Amino acid sequence: MSAGTGSDDANEYTSVELMICQAARLIEDSRTVFIGYGMPQIAAILAQRLYAPNICQVYEYGAIGPEVATPFRRNMMADARNSHHAVCWTNMTTMVATACAGFIDYGILGAAQLDRFGNINSTMIGSDYRRPKLRFTGSGGGNEVASLCWRTIILMQHEKRRFLEKVDFITSPGYLDGTQNARERAGLPEGTGPYRVITSMALFDFEPESNHIRLIGLAPGVTEDDVKDNMGFDIPVKDGLEQLEPPKQSELDMLRNVIDPERVVIGKVKV
Amino acid sequence: MGTEIIESGEGEFIAPDPDRARAWMREHKSRELKSKVMSEKDAVERFVKDGFYLSYDLSSMVRGPMALEREIVRQRKRNLWIAAKFTLLDTTLLVAGGCVSKIDVGFAGLGRTLFSAIENGEVEIIDWSNGALALRHLAGAMGVPFLPTRALMGTDTFKHSGAKVIEDPFTGNNICLVPAINPDVAIIHVNQCDEFGNSRVFGPSVSPVETAMASRRVIISAEEIIPTEDIRKRPGQTTIPYYLVDAVVHVPFGAHPGTVPGLYTYDTAHLEEFFAAREPDEINAYLEKYIYNVADHKSYLKLIGGPAHLEKLTQDEEYKEGYYL
Repeated sequence: MSAGTGSDDANEYTSVELMICQAARLIEDSRTVFIGYGMPQIAAILAQRLYAPNICQVYEYGAIGPEVATPFRRNMMADARNSHHAVCWTNMTTMVATACAGFIDYGILGAAQLDRFGNINSTMIGSDYRRPKLRFTGSGGGNEVASLCWRTIILMQHEKRRFLEKVDFITSPGYLDGTQNARERAGLPEGTGPYRVITSMALFDFEPESNHIRLIGLAPGVTEDDVKDNMGFDIPVKDGLEQLEPPKQSELDMLRNVIDPERVVIGKVKV
Repeated sequence: MGTEIIESGEGEFIAPDPDRARAWMREHKSRELKSKVMSEKDAVERFVKDGFYLSYDLSSMVRGPMALEREIVRQRKRNLWIAAKFTLLDTTLLVAGGCVSKIDVGFAGLGRTLFSAIENGEVEIIDWSNGALALRHLAGAMGVPFLPTRALMGTDTFKHSGAKVIEDPFTGNNICLVPAINPDVAIIHVNQCDEFGNSRVFGPSVSPVETAMASRRVIISAEEIIPTEDIRKRPGQTTIPYYLVDAVVHVPFGAHPGTVPGLYTYDTAHLEEFFAAREPDEINAYLEKYIYNVADHKSYLKLIGGPAHLEKLTQDEEYKEGYYL
């Protein structure tokens, strides 16, 4: 975020580092957390190393409660490092059932686009499904995570082209059309849905009356106008806006020296 | 008569036919304890046909059936419809080899080659989710026409899938049904198996049992062939019983350039070489070098560096705990 000399101190950090640190601080200890690909993996490892030693990470490929080995490797999923020191190894059907049966407290996902009701696109960009301008991986386990975990936390770079009134494709459900009980009416489990959105600029929750994404915290050096100028729609703002703490030296040390020294996910601080 | 369908996805799928699948399993799946060991060439020639629906377990990066996928590319199979339950390099390799016309997507990655083929309309995508594809295989494995899920509903993923929403006759709420899939052929890479196909998968997995039970033909590729007596001494370790299996192929390092957890790690340099190939001529050069101009898996292992390189991949797998007894 901050411009600077490129030295490794806490005054300088990447937008990904900022998001990962915010996410790690949100994760409560002794909870079950369904982890998506990429940034969410790093956030969960950071949380477990610094704040929540007894979280139970669960992965769709069948690992329950691993203490993921570091350093993080590119595309690391389902391998021996990711599955290390787990309490149980099982399979995908069991993991989805575990979430559907109500055992998973949090799901953490990334997104390519997000709308005002927290609906996630990770499938494609464009208006023609058969000829997308850009194609991504598709749901993966994201649809199950967003449908079945009690609370979903979403991580996304804060850009106007990503925050849209209407996303190009709803891969995974947020509050759908935003009307009360829209999820339940569709058939999704009661009392589930997006809980927080963490971006490179801010922290959001969802206004209970409208299910609309709402600004609740600002990253260091970011103004309310910065946030709004980089979204494709107007948003409510919670009274008593929180000032988010920047990444701490201890968090950055853990990220840069232990978890992701090659900076595969966290990126490099721009000089 | 019949249950009212509240909403139908528009995605194409093969209509489930449990009676036909049962009849096939009765007629064509031998219950004989006979050796099924054969070369990867013979297995793919006999059991993978153009136009088949093909399924595999886990991904190219982890315990993927890469030696069999290379053989499929080498034999220039065409118009396969594949289940990309959880995939990284698999789909890309098969698409690059021109083998694929349709992909049921759970998680489809990775690499520009695959995404360009989708964007250009060279392959058709049907979006599901990983969980939905695993469930469709479970339904096929159970011999039932569909299974319910509480996911998918309300999304475009649902709309583009072949799922349906009905009113659940027990609760009165909406419930989503996904159709069973009985793949024409499954390719599954395992840690160990015997000559009959009794197979052991060590570590977490996507859906090896469901995939093997649902599929009309099953090719097992194994790191190691072990005596049946070892299987019978520890039957709790068996993941897939023999009568599900049609062919057994012995391919040590058969998941290369991916990893078999606890045994050998990824070949990072090789993966970089693969993903660096983006333009058609670069991809063709890769396919020529590692597949078309290579006779079989044995020659492939020599080409990638032989015993010294394989030993290094084994040494570099730092975390071995929990996999082998």
